[in-house]
Amino acid sequence: MADFLGQYGFLIVTLVQAGLLGLSLYFPLQAGQLSLASPGFYAVGGYVAAILLTNPVFAGVRETLGNGMFPLTWLAAALLCGLLGVLVGVPALRLRGIYLALATIAFVEILRVVSLNLPITGGAIGIFGIPQAFGFQDRWQYIWLFGPLLLLTLLFARQLERSRVGRAFRAIREDELAADAMGVPPTRYKVLAFVIGAVLAGIVGAMSAPFLNTWNAKQGTFDASIAILAFVLIGGSRNIWGPVVGGALLTAIPELLRFLADWRLVINGLVLVVASLYLPQGIVGALEGVRHPPPPRRPPSVPVVVEAPGGGS
Amino acid sequence: MELSQFLQNVLNGLAIGSVYAIFALGYTLVFSILGIINFAHGAVFTLGAYFTYTLVVGQFENNGLLKGINLFPDGSPFSGTPWLFALATLVGAVVAGLVAVLVERLAFRPMRARGADPLLALVSSLGVALVLVNLIQLLVGAEIYNFPSDAYGQVQPALSFQVGDRVVIVRTVQIIIFAVSLVMLAILGYVIGRTKVGKALRAVAENPGTASLLGISVDRFILITFFLSGFLGGLAGTLVGTAFGVAGPYFGVTYGLKGLAVIVLGGLGSIPGAVVGGLVIGLAEAFVPAQYSAYKDAVAFALLFVILLVRPQGLLGRAQIQKV
Repeated sequence: MADFLGQYGFLIVTLVQAGLLGLSLYFPLQAGQLSLASPGFYAVGGYVAAILLTNPVFAGVRETLGNGMFPLTWLAAALLCGLLGVLVGVPALRLRGIYLALATIAFVEILRVVSLNLPITGGAIGIFGIPQAFGFQDRWQYIWLFGPLLLLTLLFARQLERSRVGRAFRAIREDELAADAMGVPPTRYKVLAFVIGAVLAGIVGAMSAPFLNTWNAKQGTFDASIAILAFVLIGGSRNIWGPVVGGALLTAIPELLRFLADWRLVINGLVLVVASLYLPQGIVGALEGVRHPPPPRRPPSVPVVVEAPGGGS
Repeated sequence: MELSQFLQNVLNGLAIGSVYAIFALGYTLVFSILGIINFAHGAVFTLGAYFTYTLVVGQFENNGLLKGINLFPDGSPFSGTPWLFALATLVGAVVAGLVAVLVERLAFRPMRARGADPLLALVSSLGVALVLVNLIQLLVGAEIYNFPSDAYGQVQPALSFQVGDRVVIVRTVQIIIFAVSLVMLAILGYVIGRTKVGKALRAVAENPGTASLLGISVDRFILITFFLSGFLGGLAGTLVGTAFGVAGPYFGVTYGLKGLAVIVLGGLGSIPGAVVGGLVIGLAEAFVPAQYSAYKDAVAFALLFVILLVRPQGLLGRAQIQKV
């Protein structure tokens, strides 16, 4: 067992972490908002934890709090990302579809360039020597942090879906104007969905900084945005298990393909192409489809046009 | 700012901005027809630069599967005079166009045939980009490749003129980039605005269903669009490559992202918008003061963010009315 954890522990934790990041994108998607901002909030959360855990300014706080410092970093990351989520979300969520996706890509890129150049984030080198959470000896022990977080998130997501708020999210996703006409205020719920995703990504970042031991601008890039989007779409975007399964699978594939050496990233690309072609509802969606086959859909006779930007109504 | 410095910045900005413009035109052409952003466009940009490099130099450094292979033992037939280099650039761009056609067949057409979610087509195009970029890395390694310094041969040396007490310098390669971009824009403007092919393209962009009722083969014009898009992307790749060297397989990633900023700034799907957007971002970057040059790459995205908030349809885009 110890051997197994020694060898695969890091990978297992990474799979759970990927699933959590997938879920952070899933929440805004529930309200129909395609946001690619998760890596930005993930990076901010990680920087918050890294700075709190290494910067000499906070030495006194660390001394007093001891292990209580780690929950404090999660809280700080959650608060800061929540606030940032509102600040970015309120103006950005006036945009729709691909425009929102592009605005969030811009947000991630700006954060990346800024963190690459600020002294407090360690510039291009980043921050290293981040102490292990609760004095963990092995990387697999981080499952005690990421595992419960995943369970809590899934429970929360499930409760949310059944609640009034979750129904409002779905109403907005299906037809924002109709939801608005029925008295569901779209802006408030869209910002809420966006902020939930931001807070989750921030906490995952704060837990990941000690896990990875080092934090730098590479943590929040466009590539990561796309990887996380792929987690959700390949896994399935209509079911809470989709992002988890997609995140775990797409993180595992490059590892499983290690024997292919240099070809594995090529194969990884092909997996994305083939999966988006043959599993349009995602893996979880396809499995559900076996149980409850959906009514046959008529393919549109014209290419689907991405929604135009609009200033709301 | 002194006048000489101002002029220098304007000239630098116009040169790089014109490349952004022709690169972004490739994106916007595809968007106007399919309503989808083709994320493989950055990879096609990189490929264009490598194809031209292969034609001109014919061998690769010490990494990758192609190392040690010399395509032209007797010297490349494409090197020596500026005209031969121009020919190689053209061939490189054509091959890049053909790759874009291949991308359409592999990543977009099957999706269209199934009436899939446009988001999935986006992921699929990302998959193709991943495949292309990593294939390049496998084949030629991750080194920086510099085009031969005499690529443009004995074209007249760089321009320089005195303004006040300082000298403003324009590099030869900048003049060429600007001129080629202008010519390309003129040709494209003519093709789209005045020819029968352009008319059909506009009809497909407007409404594919109606266009196909009128006897226009939509699939064929989508292929043409992708070819044009790849051609422009590949051409931009070689132009940037000659100015800065071809910086590895990920060469196109930054341009791919900036290209997105350019087309949104100008207005998604708008051809004049792509040109204006490219020039605006090129100029804005040129005016970033030297001590803040590290923030240069954020300029395009900051502009993009601001414009999305103020005018979501972009500078020259059309606002659309929402209907229930």
